[in-house]
Amino acid sequence: MQKTFFRRLKEVFVPEQTPASNDLTARFHEFQAVLDGNNRALEAMTEMGEKLGGEYLFDVNYTRSAYATLFSAIFGALDHFNLLTDGQYPQLAGTLARIDTLVHRMLSGSASLSSPLVVFYPEITWDQAEEVGGKNYHLAELANSLHLRIPHAFAITTTAFTAFMRHNGLEARLAALAGADTATLANVRTVILAGGFPEDFSAALAAALEKLRDRLGQNATLAVRSSAEEEDGEYSFAGQFETVLNVPCTVEAVQPAYKEVVASLFQADATSYQRQLGYDLGTLKMAVGCVAMIDAKASGVIYTAAAGKDRSRMSVSAVWGLGPGVVDGLTDADLYTVVKEDVLRVIERRIGAKAQMVVNLGGSGIATVETPAAHRPFACLSEPQVLELGKQALAIEKYYKVPQDIEWAMDAQDRCYLLQARTLRVEDPAGTSASADTSAASGYPVLLRDQGIVVQRGATAGTVFILQHLDELEKIPKGSILVAKHDSPHFVQAIPILHAIITDIGVPTSHMASICREFNIPTVVNTGSATSVLRHGQAITLQAGEGSEVVVYEGIVQSLLREERQTAAKLRELYEFRRQKYIMRYIAPLHLVNSLEQEFTPEKCKTVHDLIRFMHEKAVQALVANAEGQGRGFNRFFGGKTAMHRLALPIPVQMLVIDLGGGLRSKTSSKAAGFDEVASVPLRAVLAGMLAPGVWQNEGVALRGADLLSGMTRAENIAGGAAIMENVALASSEYVNMSLRFGYHFNMLDCYCSDTPRDNHIYFRFVGGAAAITNRSRRIQLMARVLAEQGFALKAKGDLLVGRLSGLSRQEIEGLLGQLGRLIGFTRQLDARLDADEMVTILARRFVQGDYRIGP
Amino acid sequence: MAKHSIMVIDDEKIVGDMAKLSFEQDGYEVETFLNGEPALERLKERRFDVVVTDLKMKGVDGLEVLRTVKKLYPGVKVIMITAFANLDVALEALRDDVHDFFPKPVKIKDLKASVKKAMGEE
Repeated sequence: MQKTFFRRLKEVFVPEQTPASNDLTARFHEFQAVLDGNNRALEAMTEMGEKLGGEYLFDVNYTRSAYATLFSAIFGALDHFNLLTDGQYPQLAGTLARIDTLVHRMLSGSASLSSPLVVFYPEITWDQAEEVGGKNYHLAELANSLHLRIPHAFAITTTAFTAFMRHNGLEARLAALAGADTATLANVRTVILAGGFPEDFSAALAAALEKLRDRLGQNATLAVRSSAEEEDGEYSFAGQFETVLNVPCTVEAVQPAYKEVVASLFQADATSYQRQLGYDLGTLKMAVGCVAMIDAKASGVIYTAAAGKDRSRMSVSAVWGLGPGVVDGLTDADLYTVVKEDVLRVIERRIGAKAQMVVNLGGSGIATVETPAAHRPFACLSEPQVLELGKQALAIEKYYKVPQDIEWAMDAQDRCYLLQARTLRVEDPAGTSASADTSAASGYPVLLRDQGIVVQRGATAGTVFILQHLDELEKIPKGSILVAKHDSPHFVQAIPILHAIITDIGVPTSHMASICREFNIPTVVNTGSATSVLRHGQAITLQAGEGSEVVVYEGIVQSLLREERQTAAKLRELYEFRRQKYIMRYIAPLHLVNSLEQEFTPEKCKTVHDLIRFMHEKAVQALVANAEGQGRGFNRFFGGKTAMHRLALPIPVQMLVIDLGGGLRSKTSSKAAGFDEVASVPLRAVLAGMLAPGVWQNEGVALRGADLLSGMTRAENIAGGAAIMENVALASSEYVNMSLRFGYHFNMLDCYCSDTPRDNHIYFRFVGGAAAITNRSRRIQLMARVLAEQGFALKAKGDLLVGRLSGLSRQEIEGLLGQLGRLIGFTRQLDARLDADEMVTILARRFVQGDYRIGP
Repeated sequence: MAKHSIMVIDDEKIVGDMAKLSFEQDGYEVETFLNGEPALERLKERRFDVVVTDLKMKGVDGLEVLRTVKKLYPGVKVIMITAFANLDVALEALRDDVHDFFPKPVKIKDLKASVKKAMGEE
């Protein structure tokens, strides 16, 4: 059909021209091909997102073939795009090649061979997440993208890891490690700890350390930390691997620390965690970070969702000295609750006892000491400092779009450094609510009530196992509820068999707490007396709700127990599943949202979606520039008439029309044309819909400044030359391709409307929006409902909607375009107002009946 | 009441893993196999209420699994899944009394509904 159309277009409008001499037609052809490739790529992307989302059983063959479809579409689009833009954007081919390499690496599970052994943080680029590991990657990103203060640091890559293993004859052994017993693992650790370094590794390390010493002084020391592939990504691996603190900045000191960190991959706790995440032992690669030590006066942790659930508040904790005090749950920290309003405000402040603190020892190493009595009663941070940390934390949350768990440290000059940022698991409020319905438990004696802090909600039952010593962890029977004095990251090895954890002392910010949330293990810390109140071997039921809503009953209260774990959450435990899904990271996210921003450059394109967006925008611009700038071809073509006109409409939409022939009635004077001068059948039909009385929402919408702005659409004036063209219609008498942008959402319409029904088609695409995703998808639902009624074939996912229809008569197409035009106008600002699901049904019904009120 | 049991055979680990998680969620007992031979061995030892198998596998393929199941346990239903939506094979399988046939990727919800139907739990 597309081909028929092009042939027709040529026949009708360029009978005398050969294609080579006809610039505009050739370019228009390329333009169409770009759009066509883009459309197919978008659909393939949507389809993949859906199939890999957790609701389908799929295999690697599927992922491969789906990606191949996507790649061929985007590759084709890029090819035509380069022709259209005269190769102005050579970078895009490189970006696509890089994406392709990363996806293939993901699909085959093989590591890159070409990456460097050592990379300084400022040089870490967006596509190096695997090479430098999650923890390095995220910390570097805080400085590189958000310009926040972090310590000087470099990463030792996974390439170096592989080289080290190979050098010590461990590569083959790692490959055969699945199912290895404790003795084998211990042996691997021994070999690593005694291992030597390849020459180039040592040289690269020495050079990096020298560079650091130049910057920080000869006495600088380092934190040598793990940064495994997925660490701080989907999974935190919190506290699973070694970190060696206060290491002198020399090869002699860093190499043993490196080995210690790497060997921790094979510790019992860490291997059990890897198994639970579906890794075959020996496949996980570890990068390492060498981060300048901050001689911290105080340190702490920020949760940007307080207590791991309240997204309107954040919590900031602080202790004297180095960070391990907070994350190991050693000491009772200062705790601030900050409200996340326009201006941050501290609403709660609790100064902890901070009995102990962790300090740097002179030469190397650290120690836990009693906090000097004079320090203890004082807060570690002033309120302005709390708020400043809060502001940074908020910026990080905004960047990653999910709540964050952030570690910070403050030096003697009161400068705050960020040491780590990772995703904070936040409970889904609709998910595992352990309701406060206590009637079901009447008759059961209550052993504990409202004591402690709930780390992970849930209702569960089991037999109490009171842990006296860590050695006993191996003896815990399946289905136990672990009751202990302190919390500990070592508990992770028992997590698969535990039903719950309750401790006397502990904080909700510890490593153990992170892991319990990840695995949905109901957990309560800081109860004060669990180990004395509960008896070893006793059957109990734990109900952990909000905050400190804790009840422990004696006996098994069946009615309180429910299947708590959700399928999706469990699927994440499958490594292979995550690996396939990770491919989408290189495909789906859209970074280039606003074409008016400086960031809208080929260099900022990171994903397939970015490429699609960029190409679309620039393709339209190229066509416009071609039409206006090099008028020669046009003028020859159209007998000296101008092909581009501004459309003057009685609604706040500025639009340029490129007349491909018969799109506008012949005009003599100015470049601006009114609605009456639109001759293109499909353009006229859709505009008529947009202009229908009552459709263009002005009344009923409170005219707030921001709304007005986002509702306006813009097209730079024609005289502006290479202007930013948001709204453009390419029109001939029977064809229109229109791109419309309202604030943050885009409408794209491609329609051929002739007297031959089988040639006719409508393709409509709608994407984006500024409101919350729920509201946006409600808008999509509403549109889908209306369009489905009109007989459109639809695809909807998140905030993307694609509708298509073909083979209808001219009259039918015109009618549908009218309805589409009304829908475009009607839904323009609707997302902000669709606060409830019911509104979708109500407004859809109204719309179909010609009632365009959007109030409740 | 004893749990209903499902055997899942697919030469790709991820399919068995995902199926196992999903079905266990609903209270089924699930055993997974990466190829046909050990699955047939296991079938000689015990009965499963439903067998879900990939069609195309090296060695013992889905059709052979189907024939064995029908021979050993005529009442047990077999559900076939395959990446190759080949109609001829599908028809042959159907003639051989396959309970249901799904092209991959298969929606987990649909597969669950089919298993439930096969168990006669509707």
